[in-house]
Amino acid sequence: MQIEHDEVSGQKTTGHEWDGIKELDTPVPKWAKWAYIITSLVALGGWILYPAIPLGSDFTRGLFGTTSRANVLEAVKEAEVVREKDEADLIDGDLYDLVDDPTIRAKYESAARVLFTDNCAACHGRDLKGQTGFPNLVDDSWLFGDDLDEIEWTIRYGINANNDDTRYSEMPAFGRDEMLEQADIKNVAEYVLSLSGAEHDATLAKAGSEVFENECSACHGETGEGVGIGAPNLTDSFWIYGGTRKDILETLENGRAGHMPSWDKRLKDADIKKLVLYLNWSKDNGED
Amino acid sequence: MTERFFSFLVVIPILALGIAITSFGKDTGYVAHGWIIVAFSIFAVKRLINDWGTAKSEKTLTYNDDVVKIGIIAAVTWAIIGFVAGDILAWQLAIPSLNADTSWSNFGRLRPIHTTCVLFGFAGNALIATSFYVVQRTSKARLAGKTMPWMVMLYYNLFVTLAVTGYPLGITQSREYAEPEWYADLILLVIWIAYLVTYLRTLARRAEPHIYVANWYYLAFIVVIAVLHLVNNLAVPVSISSPQSYSLFSGVQDAMTQWWYGHNSAGFLLTAGFLGMLYYFLPKAADRPIYSYRMSIIGFWGITFLYLWVGSHHLHYTALPEWVQVLGMTMSVVLLVPSWASVFNGLFTLNGAWDKVRTDPAIRFMMVAVLFYGLATFEGSFMALKPVNALSHYTDWTVGHVHAGALGWVAFLTFGAMYKLVPWVWQREEIYSVKLASIHFWVALLGTFIYVGSMWNSGITQSLMWQTYDGDGNFVYAFIDTVIAMKPYYWARAIGGLLFLIGGCLLAFNIYMTVQGPRARAGNAVAVPAE
Repeated sequence: MQIEHDEVSGQKTTGHEWDGIKELDTPVPKWAKWAYIITSLVALGGWILYPAIPLGSDFTRGLFGTTSRANVLEAVKEAEVVREKDEADLIDGDLYDLVDDPTIRAKYESAARVLFTDNCAACHGRDLKGQTGFPNLVDDSWLFGDDLDEIEWTIRYGINANNDDTRYSEMPAFGRDEMLEQADIKNVAEYVLSLSGAEHDATLAKAGSEVFENECSACHGETGEGVGIGAPNLTDSFWIYGGTRKDILETLENGRAGHMPSWDKRLKDADIKKLVLYLNWSKDNGED
Repeated sequence: MTERFFSFLVVIPILALGIAITSFGKDTGYVAHGWIIVAFSIFAVKRLINDWGTAKSEKTLTYNDDVVKIGIIAAVTWAIIGFVAGDILAWQLAIPSLNADTSWSNFGRLRPIHTTCVLFGFAGNALIATSFYVVQRTSKARLAGKTMPWMVMLYYNLFVTLAVTGYPLGITQSREYAEPEWYADLILLVIWIAYLVTYLRTLARRAEPHIYVANWYYLAFIVVIAVLHLVNNLAVPVSISSPQSYSLFSGVQDAMTQWWYGHNSAGFLLTAGFLGMLYYFLPKAADRPIYSYRMSIIGFWGITFLYLWVGSHHLHYTALPEWVQVLGMTMSVVLLVPSWASVFNGLFTLNGAWDKVRTDPAIRFMMVAVLFYGLATFEGSFMALKPVNALSHYTDWTVGHVHAGALGWVAFLTFGAMYKLVPWVWQREEIYSVKLASIHFWVALLGTFIYVGSMWNSGITQSLMWQTYDGDGNFVYAFIDTVIAMKPYYWARAIGGLLFLIGGCLLAFNIYMTVQGPRARAGNAVAVPAE
């Protein structure tokens, strides 16, 4: 133990030494003491103002008597009131009037894009052009018709969704469930290919046309153009599950039952309306 | 009863566990882990019978530096693996298709490899190695035990190996920074207690009247990590045939336990442990006394007391009760003071030796490490404030904050210490190339700036984009818009990480060449009893 004087700092050492390391006896600087005091007071203030101290099964409520959760619920409620007022034109308006109203479009298109991108684009794509299994929303082919009310219904209640009002749509598994002979499936596939003008075997297709009339036309229509009950138009160039021979055979063999969620409880009425309008506005964009 | 007996008490149950896993295990990766455990244990048994036990009498007054050498090599090896994994992740974020569409290389499985390699592999081994070195020097006593230090080193690295090899196969309990499953956790628990016992026994035989401040910090690190590890990993294994287990906690208690663990890992592994490293290597390298003994005391007790409260600041605005959030926030504010007391105690220790910052890259590394420690602790207290957290939470700002601490503080300090420690334990004149160490410094500093800077930018940008509303309260940006906006920052981060990795390789090369080089002096390893 030997207390030394350090020339650089002017301080004395504590007299301890470990492997040549010594310590100066420098007092704790004022700023550190004050910083401890001030931050401790800030902490104390926090404990008084906010909920902070546990008391068995309860806790102190703080002088403000509120929590951040209560605050945010309040703020959300207020925002909803403001919003209902702001969006009255949309909420009270009729879709058919709104869709052609340029002020409505200017006011809501940007918000509608965000709604679509956050909620719908994962399946239908940011460009609305869909992907395998998920329909293109900017072509002219609508499974349930292009009527605005029908589109709204689909968004609200979904397709094959867990909901009493949901749309029901299923392509039977003609092969797997042995509803058709394999030969008939081959024939009808050729016929389906012929409907959209694709390369096909004319002889088989001719045999397939009879099968089509008996088994398929109830949903897809006698001409294969669909009847607006969810079975696609087979004569155009749009295919949800692919239009090659292989894809069509797969569809005939194992059937299809696409799923669209119901957004009724997840999005507000005004937001569903925005999405319906957005689909129409985007179709215009495609034509520009 | 001899120490070797106790060592066998550790080895035999672990060996039995390994054999049981190979016998009853159903999962391929799990069975492979059984074999790895058996292999490590057979190696341990062999060494226990042959050299560890029969080594020269431990009463000779030489320090046990061999185990320190192994720790240094392990730390640097895991560091390189961890840096590579981290930079691959950074590139995957910039170019998502780089995950090659296979399960084992996806982000969720690679990310714990990165975090485990750098936290447990790099930082953990660096702390064990330096703590063994420092406790001997500052106690003037040889490390207690002939076999236990080796057991600690061997089985600790078995734990890291099990953890890192399990993740690609999907073996994880999905607790952040505590992913290893129950059998690996048990091994770590046993070996951590052996570490604590070894450390305490060495301190007990010290020839100095007082315990040096570095040892307070190392001890706090060892004790608290033991408690954290034990509590957070309380789980019931499904059966011996399965690597899986169920946590004892659920819901919000689970989240709180997890973040109590997570934040105190930062507090006691990445802070207390490394302050221990700082308090030895900085004054030793600079040849200056510690600036203030009193600051050491208020810093130590402030840090150890306050850290344990603040984990809840990771759960602001969640289902966690408000009062727990407020306690976490307020304690975080006070925590700034002991953190900065440590910063100033470190910086002012350089008074009278500032010229060495210019000439000695090891001291430069340590000095900058202290600055980054000051930056990260200020930032941490700031981000713990609820209104700030509303902006920073769930953004890349958090990632930037962690890496300011992990790269700038933890890694820089370790690099600085390594450039001193390696020549000391291998008894070389100095590091192979001081110039290369200096290049390492600048490359690593540039990498850190690019990394942290890009994450600040991306974090604040994405948060502001998330919170941008139009006049009616609608979002202006879709979530994917904010992801696309991150792209340039993710590229920058990957480049910054690459620079840091290159720096790590320079360190490894420099250490290799130093060890290969000629022995220059002797006598460093002789313990001189206190008067």
